[in-house]
Amino acid sequence: MNQLIYNAAVWLDNTEWSTRIHESYYLYNWIESTHVLTLMLSLGILFLIDLRMLGWAFADISANKLATRLNTPMLLGFVVMFATGILLVYAVPVRSAQSVWFRLKIGLLIICAINALLFHRKMTASIGSWDFEPRAPKALRVGALISLITWSVIVICGRFIAYDWYDCNYPQSDFIRGIAGCIDGQTQF
Amino acid sequence: MIFSLMLNYRKTLCSSLFFLLLVSFFFSELISSSHIAVLPVFEWMETTWFGVAGKTWGALFAVVQAGHLVGLGVLGGSVIASDGRLLGLFKGLPMRLVVDRCHSVFAWSLALLVATGIFMACGVAIKIYYMPVYWYKMLALTLGVLFVFFIRKPILDRDLDQVNPWLLRLLAISSIMIWFTVAATGRWIGFS
Repeated sequence: MNQLIYNAAVWLDNTEWSTRIHESYYLYNWIESTHVLTLMLSLGILFLIDLRMLGWAFADISANKLATRLNTPMLLGFVVMFATGILLVYAVPVRSAQSVWFRLKIGLLIICAINALLFHRKMTASIGSWDFEPRAPKALRVGALISLITWSVIVICGRFIAYDWYDCNYPQSDFIRGIAGCIDGQTQF
Repeated sequence: MIFSLMLNYRKTLCSSLFFLLLVSFFFSELISSSHIAVLPVFEWMETTWFGVAGKTWGALFAVVQAGHLVGLGVLGGSVIASDGRLLGLFKGLPMRLVVDRCHSVFAWSLALLVATGIFMACGVAIKIYYMPVYWYKMLALTLGVLFVFFIRKPILDRDLDQVNPWLLRLLAISSIMIWFTVAATGRWIGFS
């Protein structure tokens, strides 16, 4: 599996646009800045909805209306964030594919996606009975808490990707080499 | 008539005057001597516990940076929700409640941003001291704080039905632009 991921990353790295992005100071920085600043649209609004479900903010505003009205800008933010995130990985594919933090981030993103799906289902099924209650039912509160925590850890992982503590081109323990999927150091981008 | 109008908007006028003075000072000859005068403060910041911890433990610095980013996200979310409503978006949500509740979230996230920002600044104090973009960010942040607490909030504390809708839209657009500038200059520090 690691070999397959590595081969795909090397193939991506050898494409013309990958080189263009990582060698262009301004393009790479513009993409990265957009990725970070879109936090305000995607994560910011998601956290507002989560805070409402937990009863920590907006407790006197209809939960259903808040979630449905803010859904569109939030999704727009996530689309931009994922698009720029994919471009950032495309620019530096080999290092990203062998990064412990990137792999952890992807794992947490999958957990967040499943959590969001379950949250949405439970919300649709139960809405109406508690819309103006200060706090959502327990199952939704748990979902909101999972969302808050996992997204915060995702931001930490994203920040840690920039550091080279566990990069494969340094001597690492077998455990780190295993979860990072080290194949051939990081001789390529 | 003019005097009574000025009295009604005294906070707005005082804040605008203060900011104009600040900008004039920022781009005047006086800034060079003041810049040198504050260097010892930045040198001291690096010797504080925050400064030493930030420089010694890279992981701690990165976690605080992540906290700063989460704070930025929540602040941005509250700005978009509140100003979006003032611009006529998110119809169905009560404007008064959205504006008031978003302000609370905004204040908490600003506190988180300032706290984590101070920690980060202590860790790289000398570096940021020499960065023009850091000072631009501080200027933008000062404008943002003055704008929110002395211009935007006093106007929005009034009966919103009595406030001219164009004034509400102007406030919303200004707010979005100011906080986007604060965030963008912050990001720019990372590239300098």
